[in-house]
Amino acid sequence: MSAVVEAKGVMKWYGEVLGLNGFTASFNPGITGLVGPNGAGKSTLFKLLIGQLHANGGDLRLLGQDPWNNVELKRKIGYCPESNQLYGWLTGQAFVETLLRLDGMRADDARKTAEESLAFVGLTGAKDRPLRTYSRGMRQRAKLAQALAHAPELLILDEPLSGADPMARVQILRAISDFAKRGGHVIMSTHVLYEVERVTSNIVLIHNGKAIASGDLHAIRALIDEHPHAVRIATSKPRDLAQALTAMEHIVSVEFPAPETLLVRTRKPDAFYRELPEIVVDRNLDVHGLESPDDSLEAVFRYLVG
Amino acid sequence: MTVLTIRYLLSTRRGLATLALSWIPLLLVSSLALARVPSFGILLFQSLMVPLFLQIVLIFVTLVNATSLIREEIDDNTLPYLLTRPVSKPTLALSKYAGYLVAAMVLLLPPVVVAYGVTAAYAGTGLGTDSEVLAGFLAATALAVIAYGALFFFLSVVLRKPLTVGLLIGFVWESVVGSLPGSVPKLSLIYYLQSVLKGMIPVGSLSGFATDVTAPVAATVLIVFAVIMVVLAAVMFQRMEFRQKA
Repeated sequence: MSAVVEAKGVMKWYGEVLGLNGFTASFNPGITGLVGPNGAGKSTLFKLLIGQLHANGGDLRLLGQDPWNNVELKRKIGYCPESNQLYGWLTGQAFVETLLRLDGMRADDARKTAEESLAFVGLTGAKDRPLRTYSRGMRQRAKLAQALAHAPELLILDEPLSGADPMARVQILRAISDFAKRGGHVIMSTHVLYEVERVTSNIVLIHNGKAIASGDLHAIRALIDEHPHAVRIATSKPRDLAQALTAMEHIVSVEFPAPETLLVRTRKPDAFYRELPEIVVDRNLDVHGLESPDDSLEAVFRYLVG
Repeated sequence: MTVLTIRYLLSTRRGLATLALSWIPLLLVSSLALARVPSFGILLFQSLMVPLFLQIVLIFVTLVNATSLIREEIDDNTLPYLLTRPVSKPTLALSKYAGYLVAAMVLLLPPVVVAYGVTAAYAGTGLGTDSEVLAGFLAATALAVIAYGALFFFLSVVLRKPLTVGLLIGFVWESVVGSLPGSVPKLSLIYYLQSVLKGMIPVGSLSGFATDVTAPVAATVLIVFAVIMVVLAAVMFQRMEFRQKA
């Protein structure tokens, strides 16, 4: 199969602000991570791909077609926006079901398919609750459920792990992997390289609206590992968690920037993300959010672009 | 999409607030009946319904609901969920307007009927005696929902702050334009609504209203205006880009 997304010199301006600056890259079948710091142009590219924005120049093809106002193409894509805003007054079930009805699905089929999709992301128990009562991790999964429900060819996921708790991360990454194993294609953006690494080694690096590198991420891993990776953890017991984490030899520093917040820097992000869920469960700690400030990745990008 | 819009407009806090507001005419006629005001009857009902219901309650309810259709999806960052479905933008826009029409009719028509019923019961005239008054106000309410809704819907597509402009049009322009000389009042929707009322209700507070437009012509003008506004909104929506912040 040819490239899922083909971009040649794509330009996007917001008034005098440049969103994409001659972005050129190919996204191959399978899972591809679009990695870049905040403001790099990831969301702009995605909005162009879903037809929410129109490019000012260049050529952008999604599954071989121009995405701008392309109604039929939308049957083939599932989109998970970065924003956690949802229709708070709808239940999870009604949310997915309503969007499936917009796909042209019959009411009975939509109800059944929505249930299956919510089960796929581990939200069966919460499907009848209003979305406004969902945690950030649950919202991420609800967004993923609506993106997956109509069995698209391609998933476009904008920061799908942002703010998700450890359990939600595991479920989201598992759902993405399972989707790809069934033959689906995924493009997921993140400013945390290690999140992508769990599901693919195929990445496109974006910085200042340009693709600066693409291919196998192991080629740049050594470079990135020189920079400690920061993780901000929201927990009701920051001191207990800090005590547990400092026992890890790869932890460089631990800070308490705010009440119920812990900022950790590690030289081995892989090990950190792998071991954290176990620590949380073993010590019965309450971790309700994980975020990676992008300063560590920003340092790498500054190095890459000179 | 239409069902989603109806549910949103009727079941959220906004729906409950506008529902309460819509029933103000009933509150008023009930108060007049309980106070046994001697002059209370079908003529006073007409005198109150135009300035209170058509020019305040109805404009407010249509403004709040119609301006929310597109603009709140943009402001709340929920629009991408709709834009990534295999439905064209004009279809989405028209479906939303259709949902608004149903919701606004549900909110605004029953209070007219019940308020009329209370008035007729108090006057002891029976429900059918002044049926032309009921028919006139139901027609005017339905046309106002269609026309004001289309105008405010258009504003919500093209403006970032449609509520402010809508308030100015609805409560300033529509209120003062009637007192301006010449043909200027014809540049307002309320002129055609009052023309409909005058044409349908031969005796009442609008008997003295100066108009050279018949009720059918006025109704046609309002409907054509609404169609133009909705089509323009759909065309603008189709061409729009949506840059939303996370």
